[in-house]
Parts: sequence; C-alpha cells; structure tokens
Amino acid sequence: MRHVNEGYIVCRCEEVTGKQLEDAYLLGAITSRQLKMKTRATMGACQGRVCRQLVNLWLSKKDQCADKGVEPLSYRTPIRLVTFGELAGEE
Amino acid sequence: MRKSLRINHHPLLGEMDKKVISFTYNGEKLQGLEGEPIAVALLANHIRILRRHEESGSARGLYCGIGHCMECRVELLGKGQVRACLTPLKEGMEIREGSRLPNAITGRVDS
Amino acid sequence: MSEVQQTDLLIVGAGPAGLSAAATISADRDFRVMVIDEFPEPGGRLLGQFHEERNHSWWIGKIVAADLIIQNTLAGVMIQCGVSVYGLELLPDGWRVLTSKGDIRTKYLLLATGAAEVPMPISGWTLPGVMSIGAAQVMANVHQVKPGERGYIVGVNVLSLAIAKELVVAGIEIEGIALPPDDLFAMEETNPVAAIELLTRLSDAAPAPWMRWGGKLAQKMKLSRLIASCFPKKGVKVWDLPLQLRTALVSIQGVDQVESVIVADVTRSGEIIEGSQREIEVDFVAIAGGLYPLAELAALAGCPFLYVSELGGNIPVHNERLKTTLPNLYVAGNITGVEGAQVAMAQGRLAAHSISYDAGWFACEEEPKLLDAIAEVKEVRRSAMIQFHPEIDSARKRIYELFEHWM
Ligand SMILES: Cc1cc2nc3c(=O)[nH]c(=O)nc-3n(C[C@H](O)[C@H](O)[C@H](O)COP(=O)(O)OP(=O)(O)OC[C@H]3O[C@@H](n4cnc5c(N)ncnc54)[C@H](O)[C@@H]3O)c2cc1C
Ligand code: FES
Repeated sequence: MRHVNEGYIVCRCEEVTGKQLEDAYLLGAITSRQLKMKTRATMGACQGRVCRQLVNLWLSKKDQCADKGVEPLSYRTPIRLVTFGELAGEE
Repeated sequence: MRKSLRINHHPLLGEMDKKVISFTYNGEKLQGLEGEPIAVALLANHIRILRRHEESGSARGLYCGIGHCMECRVELLGKGQVRACLTPLKEGMEIREGSRLPNAITGRVDS
Repeated sequence: MSEVQQTDLLIVGAGPAGLSAAATISADRDFRVMVIDEFPEPGGRLLGQFHEERNHSWWIGKIVAADLIIQNTLAGVMIQCGVSVYGLELLPDGWRVLTSKGDIRTKYLLLATGAAEVPMPISGWTLPGVMSIGAAQVMANVHQVKPGERGYIVGVNVLSLAIAKELVVAGIEIEGIALPPDDLFAMEETNPVAAIELLTRLSDAAPAPWMRWGGKLAQKMKLSRLIASCFPKKGVKVWDLPLQLRTALVSIQGVDQVESVIVADVTRSGEIIEGSQREIEVDFVAIAGGLYPLAELAALAGCPFLYVSELGGNIPVHNERLKTTLPNLYVAGNITGVEGAQVAMAQGRLAAHSISYDAGWFACEEEPKLLDAIAEVKEVRRSAMIQFHPEIDSARKRIYELFEHWM
C-alpha cells in the first residue's frame, strides 16, 4: 500500500476521515458494525448509500481473509430515509 | 456576466423546450427553466454552493445528481428542506442555502 | 396515504429492464402490472446515455426510453414515479412492498433497481464542483447544463470513457482522464498496468484502434506491462479524449468550490514520482469509481448473495430464467450484474416470459418464448457495444449453478 492518505474524508455526511477509521480499528472496532458505531461513518443523512461500500472495502483490505462467499447482506428496513419522502420533490 | 452553462444546441439531443421562469436564491433574483431540478437551474447560473456542513461549515454542493447522497439539501420557502437535484423548479420559488437538519432525521445527538 | 394498492406484478425500477418487462408482459395478456420508480421521470439510466454504434449511427437512450414508455402507456401499464421502495415482506400469496406512498400487495415481484456508483474518496472531494461521473452525465445529457466549463475526470474505466466522450460531444472541455491515487480506498487496482488491462476489455468498443489491437494482443501476451511503460506521460488523445494512464489525480483544491486539481506522474506500478506534482485549473471534477449492482431490496427480502467481481459486486442468487431462490421474486437488469442497457432490456423481456410461464397460463405456448428470450439475452450480450467485462458468461454460470445447488 503506497501513498496512504488517511487524512481525508471518507463519510461525507458525518465528515469521518480515514484516520478516524484507522484509530477506531486500532482501539478494537474491527467489524463494520463496530466501526460504524464508533465513528458514525455510514450513519449520516444518506444512510450509508455513498460510503457503505468504502467502509466495507477498507475493512476487507485490512482483513484480507474476510469471507466473500455466499452471504446474506446486512440491510435493514427502511433502506430509504422515509422521513425524506416529503423531501422527494413532489407535491 | 459569465456565460450560462446551458447546452443550448446539443448536437445529438437537440434543444430543451421549457419555459423560462424566475426564482430567487438567497434573495438574488435568477432565471431557470420550469420543471428542471432546482440544482440544475442554480448550476446554469454558476451557483454550486447549496449548503454548509452542520459542524465544520464546509461548503457542499450537488454530488450524485439522483437523490441518493443528500448533499444538495436546500431550504425551499413553504416546504422546508428539499433535495435540489430532484425538486422541480417553479415560478416564484424562494430558495435559500440549506441549514441544519433536525436531529430526529440525522440521528445526531447534541452534546 | 396508507390505503393498500393491489396488483398482479409489481416492478421496482423504471429503467430499461423494468420498462421492457412491463411492456412485454402486458402486451401478452390481461394482467395488472405496476411499475414504480423513485426518480421523478421514468427511464432509469437510459435517460443519460448515448453512444455510437458500429455502423456509426447514434444510439440515444432518451429516444429508446420514450419508445418504451409509449409501449407501456398503450398496454395500460401504470408507471408511478417519485415513489421509493424501502422494504418488503413475503406473504403466503405474494409480497407486501413498503413504499414512501403506502403499501402495495402483489403476487409477483420483479426487482429491476439497476446499478449504483462506487464512490472514490479523494482529498478535497467534498468541495462543490466535485461530483460523481453519473451526476456529470445527468447534468449534461438529461438536463443539458454543463457540469462546468473545464473538468478533470478521475478513474479510468469503461464508464468514465463512455461518459467523457459524451461530455466532449456536449462541448465541455476535459483536461484529462487520470488514475485515482493508489490507496486503501481504491476499488480496482489503480496502477497503469491494471488500467490498461481494464481497457482491453472494451474490445470492439475501444475508442481507438490501438486499443482494439492492443486488447487482443495484450490478453494473449501480457503486453500490458509494455504498453504501460511506453505510454507517454503526457497521455494520448483517444477518441478525442486526453487519456492519462501515467498520471494520478492527487487532490482537489479550492476554498468554497473547485478551483484546481493537483496531478502527478506515477510509475508503472502506480507510485507517485516525487517532484512531478503540478496544479491544473479546472472548475469541476467527475469521480468515476465504477458501478455495482443495487441489490439492497433483494438483501432485505432475504436472498442469498454471491460476490462476483466480474459482475461488479454482490449478486442475489438467481437462475437463467431470472428467478431468485424466494417464491415469486424475480430480478432483471443490472441488479443481476453490471452490463449495458441493451442487455438490461433483453433481460427485462426474459423476466416477463419467465413470470408468465410460472404463472401457468398457456405454458406450452410460453416455453418456446422463454427459450427464445434466453437465447436473445446471450446474443445481445455477445454483440453489445459496451462490454463491462469479458468473463460475464462464465461468471453468470457460477451463479446459476449456485441456484441449482441452493434449491
Ligand atoms: C451513473 C450510471 C451511468 C451509466 N452509464 C451507462 C452508459 O453510458 N452506457 C451503458 O451502457 N451503461 C451505463 N450504465 C449502466 C446502466 O446501469 C445500464 O445501462 C442500464 O441502465 C441498466 O438498466 P436497469 O433497468 O437494470 O437499471 P436502471 O436503468 O439503473 O434503472 C433502475 C431504476 O430503479 C430505480 N430504483 C432503484 N432503487 C429503487 C427503490 N428502492 N425504489 C424505487 N425505485 C428504485 C432507480 O431510480 C432507477 O430508475 C450506467 C449506470 C450508472 C449507474
Ligand atoms: S445531489 Fe445527491 S441527493 Fe441531490
């Protein structure tokens, strides 16, 4: 891994940086759920739609043996921020 | 005044035939096309800053363009916060830079 | 708000897959079909696409979408836009679908939710003026407003080249298409060798003859290393696009919006060459991290998934007839793997035949149609102008085998 720039923002909504993920990981937040709880990454207004992939990818690179076989993905209802229904722009 | 960013004569897609209407952004009177998303009308006027981040105050603008990222939240008079990339522009709309969302929506806890 | 709507088939997603499925099934029989989509207008990703075909005519997504919408209107299909699906639940006789406009009960459910973009964080990427490449496409092609006067594209892949070309056609200046910095968040390998390998997948659709030629040869002879070392640092113009395979975009600068980017030369394996950093003035940056299938609803439903990199990510297990392992639940289009719009349309038609077959009317009439539809998907895939990956067929076989195993 070259040119690791951990200072910039990964989760845009909550302004969580790569450095914060790294620190949380070192403090024992080693699953994506723990990382999210610890840093608030993926928990902002977009509900992880932008950075969920990134956090999982980052973790899988950290933890090379992460299982990529058949798995149920961990999504929970609602997958859309329903409170934003009114914000969708229609009448 | 800077040249508009509109593509008036697209070589393959042709013209947009929509009515020109007026609206305001942060009090400034602007023109846009009826029914196009607010963010598009603002971009055509070279306006990219749609809100500021709740905590750091950093400027934010349109990012995904299709309603996923929530970055483009603006304040629409009479409606509250809307996504500028999805909300169709109408005559006379009064729009302001997005402000902070209620904690009930972000799940943020004040400390 | 909360009255429950009823239908026989509910299709989530009014993109090429969903619209083709709806038009096909309702042209065939008396069956209540409803299509919903969260975007304000139907068409999905078709609305922003156009490309030049082999015979040099232009394939224009907006026109294809308009045609599909007319077919649906004539067939009496109800298309509802601005409605988001946020949950689903299996019932003894079908599905309950939770939407932002109330619940819908349906016997059959087809998920045609398409693909989403993989983000790519870069220093400065929250500045206004930085957007996903899909947003740049939507601005220029759907709304006909330039994302800016002059921009940089970061990420070299099939989609970034296709959209860069569209932006140039619209009169937007592209200063360069460069690699992302190689770091912990890079999805694909980000060095020049990997980028060339990726480009060789463009095969016939490759924007320049040397790539078409290079593609075939490189696959055989591992030429990509050589191409990578010979690739001029300034980049080359392919298809009028300034492709810079030896350059990485290191950061995006500006106070309140994009003012410039810092780029640097990289070695063959992607390391930044110290001292080569330079600043280039631009007013927008488009980030092209690639696509992944948007399968959140299949995950909520409880489908098993398989990670298939050739198809762009986690895929809900399904068979060649586009049935999932769950009762009355089907998938079509990019949710089954990232491919072009024409493949998605063929898959939509296949899903329609598959559902009519399973619904059991005129099964003997349906069987040959279903087999034809399967063959058609393969044929369209083979001849597609935009191929996202060369190993799609074998990757898909793995999923079908898993389906048989699972059932
Ligand atoms: C940004 C982007 C650009 C692309 N550009 C090209 C290109 O130039 N050329 C090319 O060949 N391919 C391109 N593709 C690939 C594209 O996915 C296919 O060409 C094709 O459009 C896939 O068709 P589909 O019907 O599967 O999905 P889509 O066309 O993506 O349609 C899916 C629809 O489902 C809706 N939807 C998703 N989730 C929900 C939900 N929960 N509730 C309600 N509605 C929902 C979406 O709003 C969308 O309209 C692009 C993809 C993306 C994401
Ligand atoms: S730009 Fe992403 S939601 Fe509007």
